[in-house]
Order: sequence, then C-alpha cells, then structure tokens
Amino acid sequence: MTILGKIRRGETGILVMGNHPQIVQSILDFDYLSGKDSPSVVGIIAGTRKAQKFFFGRSELLIPCFKDMSRIPGDIGTQVRWMLNVQSGRRALESTSAFFSVFPDALGGHLFAENIPEAHAAELIRHFGKEKIIAGPSGVGIVVSRQLKLGAIGGTDIAQLTASHLETEGSVAVVSTSGGMTNELIRAVALAGKRVSFSISIGGDRFPVTSLGDVLSLAEADDATKAIVYFGELGGSDEYEIVQLIKQGKLKKPLICYIAGVIDEAFDEHMQFGHAKALVARNDESARAKREALLRVGAVAPETFADFLNALKEFPLPAIRDTVTDMSEFSNRRPSILSTREVVDLESVPVFVKKGKLIKQKENAFASAATEALLGREISETTAAFIENVFELLIDHGGHVSGAVNTMITARAGKDMVSSLAAGLLTIGPRFGGAVNDAARAWLEGAKAEKSAGDFVETKTRAGNLLAGIGHRKYRVGIPDPRVAALSEFMTLLKKHPHYDFARAVEKITTGKNGQLILNVDGVMAALLLDILSEKEGYSHNELNELVEAEFFNALFIIPRSVGFIAHFIEQKKNDEGLFRLPDELLFEQKKGGGKKGKKEA
Amino acid sequence: MSRVKLSEYKAKQLILGDVYKGIQLRSREKMVVSKGKWVAKVDQGVKKRFKQGLVSVNAPAKEMLAAIKEWEKKGFSQFVLEPYLEHEQSEEQYFSLERIRGGIRMLHTREGGVDIEAHPEKVQTYVAQSGKDVTEIAGKSGLPETFLRIMFNAFDKYYFAFIEINPLIVRGDDVHLLDAALLVDDAGEFFVRGAWTGDDVIKAKAKHEAETRVEALAATTPASLKLSVINPNGAIFFLLSGGGGSIVIADGAQLEGAGNLLGNYGEYSGGPTREETYLYAKEIIALMLASKAKKKALVIAGGVANFTDVKKTFAGIIDALSEEASALRKAKIKVFVRRGGPNEAAGLSLMREFLEKESLLGSIHGSDTIITKAVSEAITYTRV
Repeated sequence: MTILGKIRRGETGILVMGNHPQIVQSILDFDYLSGKDSPSVVGIIAGTRKAQKFFFGRSELLIPCFKDMSRIPGDIGTQVRWMLNVQSGRRALESTSAFFSVFPDALGGHLFAENIPEAHAAELIRHFGKEKIIAGPSGVGIVVSRQLKLGAIGGTDIAQLTASHLETEGSVAVVSTSGGMTNELIRAVALAGKRVSFSISIGGDRFPVTSLGDVLSLAEADDATKAIVYFGELGGSDEYEIVQLIKQGKLKKPLICYIAGVIDEAFDEHMQFGHAKALVARNDESARAKREALLRVGAVAPETFADFLNALKEFPLPAIRDTVTDMSEFSNRRPSILSTREVVDLESVPVFVKKGKLIKQKENAFASAATEALLGREISETTAAFIENVFELLIDHGGHVSGAVNTMITARAGKDMVSSLAAGLLTIGPRFGGAVNDAARAWLEGAKAEKSAGDFVETKTRAGNLLAGIGHRKYRVGIPDPRVAALSEFMTLLKKHPHYDFARAVEKITTGKNGQLILNVDGVMAALLLDILSEKEGYSHNELNELVEAEFFNALFIIPRSVGFIAHFIEQKKNDEGLFRLPDELLFEQKKGGGKKGKKEA
Repeated sequence: MSRVKLSEYKAKQLILGDVYKGIQLRSREKMVVSKGKWVAKVDQGVKKRFKQGLVSVNAPAKEMLAAIKEWEKKGFSQFVLEPYLEHEQSEEQYFSLERIRGGIRMLHTREGGVDIEAHPEKVQTYVAQSGKDVTEIAGKSGLPETFLRIMFNAFDKYYFAFIEINPLIVRGDDVHLLDAALLVDDAGEFFVRGAWTGDDVIKAKAKHEAETRVEALAATTPASLKLSVINPNGAIFFLLSGGGGSIVIADGAQLEGAGNLLGNYGEYSGGPTREETYLYAKEIIALMLASKAKKKALVIAGGVANFTDVKKTFAGIIDALSEEASALRKAKIKVFVRRGGPNEAAGLSLMREFLEKESLLGSIHGSDTIITKAVSEAITYTRV
C-alpha cells in the first residue's frame, strides 16, 4: 500500500517537535472540519510544560507535552505516524534521526526550519529518503485532503481552511517548492471549482529530502489524483526532471504548470529573486526555456497566470460535494484561562438511608473517594485500605508537635477556625510532616538507579542533606514505632516491593551509624504507597514521578492531620484560657549589643 | 541554506593548516615580505582574475607592491601573497569537489594544461558517498590518497559546499594548490565552532544604500526581507510578500510590457513582526518618493500566506505609510493592494480604511481575486 493509501486508512497520528501553537491549532481545526472525532496531534515535545490547550471545534482540549520522546507513554506512542519538526535547523538532523529510531514505523514528516546545513539534509536523504516522505527542509508541509495536515500548508486561519475546502476529498495534486505559492495554488484549485487530493510543499532548499521527482511519482501512483498542478520558478533544473519523467512514460497524468520568472528578461543581468535557487545560472534555466521544454512534452504551461487559472478552471474533473460548515461555531472562540478536570461526579449523590434503613456502604468509602478524587482514576481495594490505614494513623500525634502547638496558640489569640487551622498547616514542611513527598522522591530515584543503599546514603549525606523518611525523635532501634510496624504489614499483600526493600536497606545502613535513624512513618508510607500504586494501580515509573512532582504524597499527611488540628482548635475554644504567652524562664533571650554600640551604617 | 564565498586565504588555511605559507593583506596594512619570488592576488572572490589582471606572478616585492597599489585604485581591498612555485603550464590539473544530493562530487582532469570549458569531455566525474570511496577514487584518478583524504575531511568538517583548485600541481606525492575558490554552506557556521565565521564571508560589491540597510535588518530576524533596486526613477514600486508570489506579480508587469517601469523588486515573508515590516516598508516608500518618475504607484501584493499574519504586517506598512502620507498625496501616488492569508479580512479592512482616509487608495483585493490584479491596475494608473 502506498503511503497516501495508509494516510487515507487513518495512519495520521502526529508528534510535534518544538513549539508552534499557531500551526498546531490549524491542524486541529482541519481535523475538526474533516469530521474527525479526535485530533491527529497526539503529543508535543516541548520542555517546559505537561500539556497545552487547544480548540477542537468550539470546545477546548489538552494535548500532552513531553520533555523528550522517552517519556511518551505506550498508548500515545503507538499512534505516532508523523513528525512535525518545528525546531531550529541546528537540531533538525539530530532530532529527526532520534524520532525515526524511536518510531521506526512512522511514515514521514516535515522539517519547517530553513537553516539546515546541506550536509545534514544529504544525510537525512541517505537514511530516510527512500522509505519516508519528508517535506522540507523549509516549506510548509504536507496536506492530504480530509485526512492529514502536517504543517502550515493550506493556511493557519480557519477561514483559509474552509475557503480552500481541504475537508473535501478531491482529485488535483498541488506541487511546488514555493511555500507561499503552494497555498496560492491550493486556493486557486478551490476557486476553479476543483478540490485538492493532496499537496506537498517541497521546500526551497538545495536538497529537499523528498524530491520533486518523488512527489510526482506519488501523484502518478495515487488513484485519487486525476491531474497535477505545478508551480516552478526560474533557476535550477527541476523542470527538466519533469520532462524526463514524462518522456520515460513515468508521468502520464495531465500536468498544468506555471513557471514564473519572465521578469528576469527585463534586466541586463540575471537577477537573484527571493528563493536561493531563483537565479538563472545557465540559459536553459530561464523561465521561458523551461516552460517551452514542458510544452514540448505535452504539459499545459500557459504564459500568463490568468491563462494558467483558466486552464485549471476548464480542466474536466468529476463533480464535487462539499460538507457545509457553520462558521458561526468558530467566531468568537475565546480560550479559557484556567483548566482543570471534573474531580467528582456532581450528578451522583450517595444514598445512605433508604426506606428507613441504613444502606451498607463500600468498605473504606471515604478514603477511596478521596484518593480517587486526587488521582483521577478508580483504585483497588488494597490501595483504599492502605490510605484508610494512613488516614486513621495520622489524624493526630499529640499536642506537642509543632503544627498542633501553632494551631492552639493561634486559637488562644482569639482567631477563628480557618486561621488557626491555616497556622497549623503552614507549619508542615521538611521537618514536620512534609517529608513524605521527599521520601517518595528518594525511594523512587534510589530503587530505579539500582545503586546500592550504601552508595545512596553516602552521596546524600556527603552533600550535607538529611535523608527524608529516616529518623525519629522518640523511637529508635529497640523501641520501634508501632505505626511503622502496622503499615509494614501491607508488604505481605504485594508480589514485589522494590521501594519498600530499598527503604529498609537504607535504614540498615543508617541505623548502623545511629540507632535513632530508623525508617519513620513518612518513609514507610511513601515506600509502600509507591509499591502499591505500581503493582495494584499499574502506575509506571514516569507516572509515579509525576505524582512526586505534583507533591501528591504530602496529601497523605495534610488531609488527616487537618482533622487533628481542628480538634485541638475546638479544645482551645472550649477551655478558653486567654492569650498565650511564653513564660520568661522558658525563653532564652540574648541581650542586645552587650553595652557596645554598633557602628552606624553609611 | 545558501552558499557563500570565503577568501582564498581562508580556504587554504582551512585545508592546509600550518603548512600554508600565504599571507593575507588588507588595504592600509603594513607589509613585511621576506625575499624570494611571490605571487600576489586580489582575494575577494573575483572570477577569472588572471584575465582581468588581478594576479601578479613571480614578481619581486617592489613590483608586487606597485601592483597592489593599482588594484586598490580599482576599489579592491583584500589580497593574498603566496610563495611562487615554478611549474609548466602542462602540469596544471583541474580539481573540484561539490556537495550534491547523492554525496560529494569530484571533478578532475588527469591530464594537465586542459582548458576545461573548451574540453568538457576531458573532465572525469566521481561521486563519494562515504570515506571508503576515497581510496577507490584515488586509484582511479591517480591523485595521492593522502591529499584526497585531506580535501574530503576538510570538506565535511568545515561545511564546504564547493571547492575548486585550478590549477592543481601534482608531483608524485607532492600536491600544490595554486588557486582556490571556496563556497561554504552558511548554515554550517554554528557547527564549525569558529573555524570560519560570518566575518570571513566575502560581501558582494557596494550596493544601493537601501539594499544595504534591508540586508542589515534581515540579519536580525528569522523572517525573510529582500530588496533589489532596479531603477531609482521607476514608476512602480513593489512591497511584495512571498518568494514565489513576488515573481508571479513581477511577471505580470513584464508580460504587460511594463518591466521597464519597475523601480524595485523585493519580498518579505516568513512572518515578520509589525516593527520589522514597518522598517522594511519605510525603505521602499523612501525609494519611491525619491524617484523622478511623473506618475507613481505602490503595489502591496502577495499570494495567500500560510502563516504570515496579514493584519500584523499591514499594520506595520500602515505605520510607515502614515509617516509620509502627505508627501505621498502630494506626489499623487496611489496604492494598489492584493493579499490573502491569516487575518485577511481584518488586515484588508484596516488597509482600506487607512488608504481611504488618506486619499491614497488605488484598489484593494483579497484572495478571491487573481494575484496579478493589483500590479495590473497600477500599470494602468501610471500609464494614463
């Protein structure tokens, strides 16, 4: 099957490399106008964000972004068939080669950059020129009507797309090295009452990866294409390549062309025009000579652009039927400025009492609902039980801990519940309660790197860092933390627990140095939850990493402990002992200056 | 993206390294030349130097300096001096390498002293696709493999596009490069890490000031901005967009027999900003106002752009036009427009409103009208 055939069978998934939202939006508009139910752009390689918002019709959607190709999950990767490379010319060779090594079955791509070295283009031709279709370097890409828009081709404004009727499958192939004239001809085909079958903008560089000859052979082999429209310019010898193809019988379909550049005859010397190749170096490179050569082999090649348009208009082609689009759908499209997902189903209301009787609920229903809200997916029984256990364990750990103290002091100052709770919550951080996420980061990194726990401890502590998830004020070897022991039992429900094992191995090293450096409740929670999420919920390493980046693991402490803080607040309000002040003997105060006067600053 | 000339001095330095004994000399530089016989050449990418008398061969230092003084009077400013190599004309071989689609093509005349233009059949062609092919080419061409390796390596390493050594003198394993002409791929500048830079590129000879200014502007943007002044006293001035579309529009003038009325050719494309378009348009408006033609017209035209925003670029053009609106009115200049692309309707109505307000409107068309419409109407206007 030809590549065009594969495209028409739906092999149109695009991975965009680099940042060009205007072009991506135009591709989504094309997809929508063509009646697709999902966009052909399946992902974007862009460093700084996780997703980018675009319109698909009137509604918006998020296209996932990835830092590099290794982070693309399998379900997205299997859809990738095309590369749209809008990165700079310097990186084009490297990034294109990387793309095809990750996606060897991809069908081709488009290189938008103009300043790609000749040597790099030649290398791309050597590696990919035969099997793939690659439009560029430079130019505006590839369009197959109703199927694929790969690049700026056909325009980037939705009004342009509808005016050119690229959503209607047609029978005219449009070919040019000039990006601007490719679009002019696409429009001209529509104005002539015809529709485009496909169009490739070859690009004005010296060594296009897919050459003019390649594109014409595609057109010749394409059943949908009944005629070819070609725009050429003075300079270079591309048109003699066409003459050869016609002479050899390899190009039999009717060809309507316009060769620009008779203006060169107005000057005493040959002039350099806009494109690099547009300079007559030899007499047979003049527009006139090339046009006449094409005429001699039977191509339609009028002298004026008006006659060229007429020839196009009069060319007999099958009737067309457009789908009508209501453009009012697109006017006044305004991008939203904030996006989120539906966290809970607002339609479904839980029922607890029916016909005077309590209805039996799912086990651990609140922990389960809370976790599902946080993760955005349903969770298994084991995960729900683990979270329930954690929630119950962490509601409070006595009134001595910093967060509880701050809550109480704030309550005693006469503040309200929200302020007092906030004072407690704002205490949560690296030394109090906020180490769960850091511990998760450490176990994730350590278990993945397959480093020995000894090396891991060595590198971390040499840099002067505390180890998150390790150490306790009260408990030590010999006086185990009962909460840690209780949670650790979850290990027996798992087939594998690499993060837990790693955390325990680290503990072995650290307790060898100091008996207090045991695996603490933060550490064990983080380790087991990583193992449970990966085994029971199918989280990949990258997905776990995303949770760490979003600080998810700290939620396990913040949620239950909020309850504890509120309890301490209520207790203060009940007793109302008045404003709290530290008694003098409980505060060591360093006296100011000790009699010496400091120098005044200039 | 494009091939640019480097000096012969730089070319040989890149190929030969420290072995090269040439001396580069620029105007107003002091010269100390050791004794012996020398060759002096103008080194500014000039073709057929020998025929133009821009080479002084086998001359003592004094004579050579006199020759250079003469060349300076002709406007040349960069020269190269090399030790003279005694040789017979019959030893002179032709050698060149050029990057082509399928690899690196080598042209060579094994026999010496052949005029290759008169005897193209004596030129042997070889194509190297990889380093392995060089050994085979050495065998077939009779050129020393070490020399070929040096040439092919330099070609790849320094992003050469074309190098011509003519003449080349081969004596056993000894190879001498007498004259060299080099084109490098300017997109390779980043990769050669300073081995050559944009400063080494030989600039074309002095141009119209407006062209120089547009070139300088173009160097500061990823968009494309080009200008050639054709006839300072032309009647029709172009503010065109698109490399291909601009030629079609200029063709329109030529086919109506109005090629001689054109004041300039040029184009902007690749999505210039409003400010860049403003600066570019200013140059063309100034050229047009300076023209002594009696009846003048400005043609703002282009194809249906893919991503260049019509409204943004037109806003830049309007910024430039409004600065000279009264001068334009006084000169009875009319503006003729045809353009399509993103934000076409908004851009065209902005332009129409402005031109009507300033009484400068000739005509205005969008993408449903033929691309040559505006130029055709401008011709009619200037001819009446």
